[in-house]
Amino acid sequence: MLELDLRSRTPIYEQLVDKLVELIVSGVMVPDEQLPSVRTLAAQLTINPNTIQKAYRELETRGYIYSIKGKGSFVNALNLVQDEGKVKEVLQKLEKIIAEALFLGVKPEEIIQIVENVKLQKGGQ
Amino acid sequence: MIQLVHVHKKIDKEQILNDLTLTVHKGSIYGLLGSNGAGKTTMLKTLAGILKQDKGTVTIKGENVYENNDIKQSVFFMPDYPTFMPQYTTRQMAKFFQSIYPNWSEERFMMLGNVFELDMDKKIHTYSKGLQRQAAFWLALSTNPSVFILDEPFDGLDPVIRTKVKNLLVQEVAEREMTVIISSHNLREVEDLCDHIGIIHKGTCILEKDIDDLKSDIHKIQVAFPKDIQEDWKTQLKPVYVEQRGSVYMLIVKGEKQKILADIQTFQPILLDILPLTLEEIFIYEMGDLNYAIQNILLS
Repeated sequence: MLELDLRSRTPIYEQLVDKLVELIVSGVMVPDEQLPSVRTLAAQLTINPNTIQKAYRELETRGYIYSIKGKGSFVNALNLVQDEGKVKEVLQKLEKIIAEALFLGVKPEEIIQIVENVKLQKGGQ
Repeated sequence: MIQLVHVHKKIDKEQILNDLTLTVHKGSIYGLLGSNGAGKTTMLKTLAGILKQDKGTVTIKGENVYENNDIKQSVFFMPDYPTFMPQYTTRQMAKFFQSIYPNWSEERFMMLGNVFELDMDKKIHTYSKGLQRQAAFWLALSTNPSVFILDEPFDGLDPVIRTKVKNLLVQEVAEREMTVIISSHNLREVEDLCDHIGIIHKGTCILEKDIDDLKSDIHKIQVAFPKDIQEDWKTQLKPVYVEQRGSVYMLIVKGEKQKILADIQTFQPILLDILPLTLEEIFIYEMGDLNYAIQNILLS
């Protein structure tokens, strides 16, 4: 389910956070679904359990997951996510891509159309 | 928790450890780095209670290690050249360890036999270097240590066994909060496995940090500014290192990521990319500041 790139410059901890955010945002992992335990993940991916724990803590402060003592970590409902850092990052990326698209001659209406389409698909989340 | 406080050690008139202070938390995988002759092995041997420090304290769980049987029963030290009794087979060595380590698990020994696929009735000295290393891991992990000290452990192991061994280590850490201390020259390997690192130079610990903190404190930035911008961004950003390729600059800047980005934005860059550094690069730049011959760590 999770594929990490050990050759990448990005720290493993950050990769883990990003991959899990992706899974949650795309709806592969649904609200209240349990995340694999630190133990299982450490054994599966051969990575330091402390790194996994740190990634889980980070996801919890950002609101993507919640944890129940003695039971494990679970996916939060998406409307509870308050991740300002990520919002800023995504907007910056978007700006870059839109600039590139406009440069290549894509019309603004086409971009707006894409936004409308995605909104429809995701049910206006 | 493991603590070395102001440890001094002389061997043959030579000061090997010089006021070394270092802390390892329970359940951590700690990477110990340093150039050749920096004192890594001496430090590990002192920690394992094989050598006695001249000055300072070496404690595990708050107790002195040297000649302390209770503590040493749960500590396993794997030297850079694993040694066994002459002419012994793995099974005989297992019997020997069983008599020394009360936490020895026969069940675990049998289980690990499937992982390593060695013949336990063959004499260990007939094995190749890599196979001897495997036998050492097999025996060490069967003693269920709470502190596992490894000196250059992956030397001579093939990639498959390497991964298997790492997997066993992280499982032990996850399940029993085993503490692991690894000395290595392979920065790549340490980077993937460890959560804390310490660098020893000339017998002193010069840097000790959480590996992610280390990484979030220094950044590689690719940036290009509009033509009419003066070069006063350099005084504002204080880059540790600058390289110019055409109109694109490659900078190494220390500090908090968000602040650096905000600072650069004020100069309205036309291109801005921020990349994390590898452990190897961090060493070059961090140590360059301290005027330490960091090349030793990289090339050895």
